[in-house]
Amino acid sequence: MPINYKTGIINEHKNVRNHSGIFDVSHMGQILIENNELYLHKLEKYIPLQLKNLIKNRSHYSFLLNKDGGVIDDLIISNIDIKDKPYLYIVYNASRKKEDEEIFISCAPNAEKIYNKNCLFAIQGPDSINVLKNIIDIPNNMNFFDILISKYDNNEIILSRSGYTGEDGFELSIPNESAENLITDLLKNENTMLCGLGSRDSLRLEAGLSLYGHELNENITPIEAGLSWALDKERLEDKNLNGNKILSDQLKNKLSNKKIGLISTNKSMLRDGMTLFDNNNNEIGKITSGCFSPNLNKSIAIGYIKSEFNTDNPIFCEIRKKLELVKINNLPFVKKNYKKNGSVYE
Amino acid sequence: MGAYMSEKKYTKDHEWVSIENEIATIGISNHAQESLGDIVFIELPSVGNSVKAKDEICVVESVKAASDIYAPIDGEIIEINNNLENDAAIINQDAENEGWIFKMKISDSNQYSELMSEDEYKQFLEQ
Repeated sequence: MPINYKTGIINEHKNVRNHSGIFDVSHMGQILIENNELYLHKLEKYIPLQLKNLIKNRSHYSFLLNKDGGVIDDLIISNIDIKDKPYLYIVYNASRKKEDEEIFISCAPNAEKIYNKNCLFAIQGPDSINVLKNIIDIPNNMNFFDILISKYDNNEIILSRSGYTGEDGFELSIPNESAENLITDLLKNENTMLCGLGSRDSLRLEAGLSLYGHELNENITPIEAGLSWALDKERLEDKNLNGNKILSDQLKNKLSNKKIGLISTNKSMLRDGMTLFDNNNNEIGKITSGCFSPNLNKSIAIGYIKSEFNTDNPIFCEIRKKLELVKINNLPFVKKNYKKNGSVYE
Repeated sequence: MGAYMSEKKYTKDHEWVSIENEIATIGISNHAQESLGDIVFIELPSVGNSVKAKDEICVVESVKAASDIYAPIDGEIIEINNNLENDAAIINQDAENEGWIFKMKISDSNQYSELMSEDEYKQFLEQ
C-alpha cells in the first residue's frame, strides 16, 4: 500500500469524506480460530471480552493484553460461521503479526492464517453502500459492525460494515484470485478512487481513532488510552484475564495521564513525538499522532498529558525549538457517520 | 555583467536558482514538490537576513513531513513570495515559476556557477 496514489493525500481524504475511497489493507493480519470452549477460554487470558457471549454475525473492537494489562495489539474480533462451522475471525495489525500469532497459535494450534490467500479491502465513505451494492448483495438491515458471508465471482467473501475512517463503509476479505476483478468493478464508479496510507492516517486521526505504535503500546493499558468502553467490565474481576487487577484498580482510581485532542492555532504542523508544555515551561505531555486535517484546514493531533494539568490553561507545543500555542479539542475532530440502525438504502 | 536571465541551476538539496542582475530567485524543484506531496504550510525566511550557503533558512510542511530549505549560495534575503503565506499549494501547482520562495542579493557568483545544470540535476536524480 503506497502513501498515496496520483491525486495526493488531501484529495483522497476529501473523496472519502464526500464520496468514497478504496483502501487495500491486505497487509493486515487475518486469522480464523475454531469457535470451541477450550480455545475461547485460553484466548480470554488475553482478550477482555466474554468470548462465548459474542453475538453471531457481529464484530467487536478489542485487544490482546499482556500481564500488566498493556496492549499487545488492538484488533477486531468477529463471531461468524464459515461453511457451517463456527469461527472467530480476527483482523489485527500487520506490525504485530509475530506477537499476535504466537498467542493465537498457543491458544488454538490449528488457527488458520488467511491473509496469504485472502486480500482485505476497505471501501469507505458515504457513497460506499451505493458503489458496493451493485456488485455484492448487501442485506437491507446491515448495520455498523455487522459481519456476514457474501458472494462475489462465485467465491465466498467475508463482508463487514466497518472501517477506520469514521465514515460508513465496508471491509471485504476476498480470495486473491478475485481481488483484481473486484477492484476493477469498484473503480468503474467514477466517484471512487484508490486511497493510500496517508489519507488512511488523516481520516482515522480526524475520527479520533487510535493507531498501534502511537496511542497504543505494551506500556499503555486500554483504560489509560481512553478505551475502557471496549472492555467487558465483568472480565476485570476474572483472574484468568491478564492484568485484571491492574485494570480494575485503574478503573477506580485517577490515572496519571489522559488522552487529548489538540488543534493548531496557526499554520504550524503538529507531529508525532513533539513535546507539550504549560505556561511555565514545564513539560506536561507528548503528541502521539499528528497530521494536517483537510476537513478543518489546520493541523490536528492526539497526545497524552498529565491528568493533573488543568486544561483551562494554555498548552504549548515545541515545534522546531519554538513554543506554539495549541488548543484542546474534543475527540473526535470530525463527527462519526456510522450506520447504526434502519434501512441502509436511500 | 549585463542584464540577463541566467540558466536555471539546481542544488543537491533540490532547490532551483535563477539569476537576473545579481538577484537570485530560489524555489524547490518540481521533483522535490512531487516527493513532498501536498504542501500545506511554509515558514518563509525574514527579509534582510544575511545567510551563508547551506544555512537552513525556511521550512516547507507537507502532509507527509517537514523539510528544510537551504540557502543555495551566500547572500542577503531581499524579497519573499507572500502569496505562499496564504496558499502554499502554489508550490505543488507550479514549483519552478509561480511557486518561487525567496530572492537573494548574491555575494559570490562563483558559487552559482558550481551548481548543477538542469541536465546534471536530471542525472543526479537518476542516481
